[in-house]
Amino acid sequence: MTITQEVSTKVKDIYLPEPATVLDSRLLTEAEIYLRFKFDDPKPHDYKPGQFYSVTIPGIGEAPISISSSLTRCEENTFEMVVRKVGNVTNALHNLVYGDKVGIRGPFGTTFPVDTAMKGRDLVFICGGIGLVPVRSAIHHVLDNRQDYGDISILVGTRTPADRLFVSECEEWSKRDDVNFLETVDVAIARKPIWTGPVGVITTLLPRLNLDPAKTTTIVCGPPIMYRFVLMELRKLQLPNDQIYLSLERRMKCGVGKCGHCQINGKYACQEGAVFKYSDIESTPEAI
Amino acid sequence: MTKPRVAIFDLACCEGCQLQIVNMEDDLLNLLTVIDPVEWREAMSDQSTIYDVAIIEGSITRQADEIKVMEIRQRATYVVALGACATMGGVNKLKNNFAIHDVKKTVYGEAANMPHLDTFTVKALNEVIEVDFEVHGCPIDADELVHVVKCLLSGQTPSAPTHPVCVECKMAENCCRYEYDELCLGPLTRAGCDARCPANGFWCFGCRGFLPDANFTAAREMAAEHGKSLEDLESKLALFGSK
Amino acid sequence: MSIKKVGSAEFKGWVQSLIKKHTVYGVQAKEDRFAFDVLDAPEDLRLDYDVTILPPKKYIQPQKEVLLTFDENGVFESVMNEESFLILGVHPYDMVAISQMDKVFTKDNRDEHYMAYRERATIIVSDVQTASKDVFAGCMGTSTGEECSGHDVLLTLLADGSSLLEAKTEKGEALLDLIPNAAEPHEGDLEARSAIWESNRKELRKHELHVAPSDLPELLERSYDHPVWNEKSELCYACGSCNLVCPTCYCFNVQDDFNWDLKSGTRSRCWDSCMVSSFAKVAGDHDFRPLAAARYRHRYYRKGKYVPDMIGEIACVGCGRCITSCTAKIANPAEVYNCLLEKV
Repeated sequence: MTITQEVSTKVKDIYLPEPATVLDSRLLTEAEIYLRFKFDDPKPHDYKPGQFYSVTIPGIGEAPISISSSLTRCEENTFEMVVRKVGNVTNALHNLVYGDKVGIRGPFGTTFPVDTAMKGRDLVFICGGIGLVPVRSAIHHVLDNRQDYGDISILVGTRTPADRLFVSECEEWSKRDDVNFLETVDVAIARKPIWTGPVGVITTLLPRLNLDPAKTTTIVCGPPIMYRFVLMELRKLQLPNDQIYLSLERRMKCGVGKCGHCQINGKYACQEGAVFKYSDIESTPEAI
Repeated sequence: MTKPRVAIFDLACCEGCQLQIVNMEDDLLNLLTVIDPVEWREAMSDQSTIYDVAIIEGSITRQADEIKVMEIRQRATYVVALGACATMGGVNKLKNNFAIHDVKKTVYGEAANMPHLDTFTVKALNEVIEVDFEVHGCPIDADELVHVVKCLLSGQTPSAPTHPVCVECKMAENCCRYEYDELCLGPLTRAGCDARCPANGFWCFGCRGFLPDANFTAAREMAAEHGKSLEDLESKLALFGSK
Repeated sequence: MSIKKVGSAEFKGWVQSLIKKHTVYGVQAKEDRFAFDVLDAPEDLRLDYDVTILPPKKYIQPQKEVLLTFDENGVFESVMNEESFLILGVHPYDMVAISQMDKVFTKDNRDEHYMAYRERATIIVSDVQTASKDVFAGCMGTSTGEECSGHDVLLTLLADGSSLLEAKTEKGEALLDLIPNAAEPHEGDLEARSAIWESNRKELRKHELHVAPSDLPELLERSYDHPVWNEKSELCYACGSCNLVCPTCYCFNVQDDFNWDLKSGTRSRCWDSCMVSSFAKVAGDHDFRPLAAARYRHRYYRKGKYVPDMIGEIACVGCGRCITSCTAKIANPAEVYNCLLEKV
């Protein structure tokens, strides 16, 4: 390769965050906070369902966070996230209030194929716990373009009733007659909040689906442990692997395919993922 | 922001870790702009009864020490263990390998039974009270203390490195002590010191404690490979009381 | 581009003039080993070195590098290297590694921080004069100045004590211009250089690799469950030494540090190691590569398959540093790859 001797003075620094401001923050559960941001720069910012931003709290650090909103129903240049408290950066994100500044890089990663492979298909969304957060972006998109898709099923599994996310939205979805909404909790021993729905892990919802494997595309997102079991059930339902899309979490530091942390064997989760077609990674041993 | 009230205490130790704080020079002045020192025997005469952060150097060697640290624990929001004596027992813990009677006799001779020379099994701080953060090393690395303080002040949970000294030793481009057939504990020991000993031509003594997943099987095999006996290795491993 | 022949005294004078004009990093003795360091005098230069502890990569992707600063309002600003420098005495295998880094850091998302160092670096490659005890560059096709690219000058010491200097770029040409009356080489000098290359291809083979480097991706493709990963990694300290001395390892960690006002500060990156236990662990403690054996395997796959799939070159240049630096003596790539050839 040739190295030019001239060093351009105006270069694009892939590590430089751009400022955004918190518009709204509220706790959804004890551990999860909902945040809405607006970019300070008025130029349009585009993102797609399934992508993530790297969010910076200066001095504390940066963390990759899934985008939870869809531009079909978001004000221009705004986006939403839900953040679980797990480390220093996410703890700091929990302290954000209206007007606070953060740094944003991205959007990074692949997308749920709402404009391509999912078009015209029956859709099954399978969301375990915080997995609902990125999938919500795709759900919003397809519900706002309802005519482009076939039957829609949304399956949501949560640890306990107290951990449920987007409770009122789930309520709305369950009331729609063009959506088949099923929800379960792993355990419901606490007296509050009252839970009268199904109890059991998310795979117990799958046999209740009456789906046509030839017409169905599935979106799966949840904790690492969930995928193996859900994929087993989907195989029983004879769903082809190239119609299953998974969003996989990994440690990420750069988001641009350099730092090496997110590699799943040879694949960079930040570049070739986080959304993968299952048939592309079924023979990738570290994936599931 | 009100400055956190910080108290520094010492138990059985050489006070070398506190000396590291005194020697921080510019950083000490900076530190004093963000904290409010309320008790520090080595540097000031004031005493206090409440504090946000209690920093304790040294190991517990007497009943009175146990009572003292329990009292400190009750008064402090955070307790920081400072240095190898506080985090692991340190060299003081070598005493535990002998009968307490023999130890007292050897050290104090005829005076061994005087009440003020009462002493018992050496304990690290976390064997008696809950410790929030540990600053490792003999002595500590002042930069690491600065890091911990900045973390606490900015609401972060500080964490010590989880990789061995070799990482920092290689980055510093030191000659590996194994090339000189020395038994260096670097591969087993928690990093954070910038491999100071190997950088100055010594093997790593393991003063920052062994990593939870340290490979002792490899250490034994490599000791043999370099012509060292298991006793050589065991005696090196025992020096700071790390488990 | 021109080739000059200079005697030893003339060469010394040339190095002196380089030092006057540039910040020069040259190979020097460090205890019983060698290391690149700031060169103050031509006498300190040791081009007869076998291998340096760390590769010259450290000047292009430093151990720790500030990427950004942020002010008390949380506004970030890029920090880019602005200093030009010259690296004197890079061995061909290390130059091949630097060329690979160039590809990695410019592919897809161009890394301007890396390029700010790379574009300000002038590199003088020196053909190997002394083979190190673990070098196997001869097996990897990286042992001679003929087999690397991206450098500005190639330096080869001939048997008569004179040196051939070949300019490879305009920058290199300018460096040669510093020698006013340098002689043109004879045909015989160029033949002597070719003979040195031929000899180095044979000499820099302290370990034999029994598979063609270009076949490594295919070999690894079918070796994922080979017992060698478990067997070798039983003695792995997970200390990262093999990563840290490697000229083609480039993974990094990113960290923020506050200034004392606890508002402003810096964001920096530092070398990381895929062999250490925390490498793939996320906040909340889920570990995506918890086993030492899996991390050990990952490293050999990076060198022999994953990075080659990305840039089309085998990401091991045969410098042998990992072999020398591994305390547990389990990190010989030639030995590991040879093992894979054996039927299980």
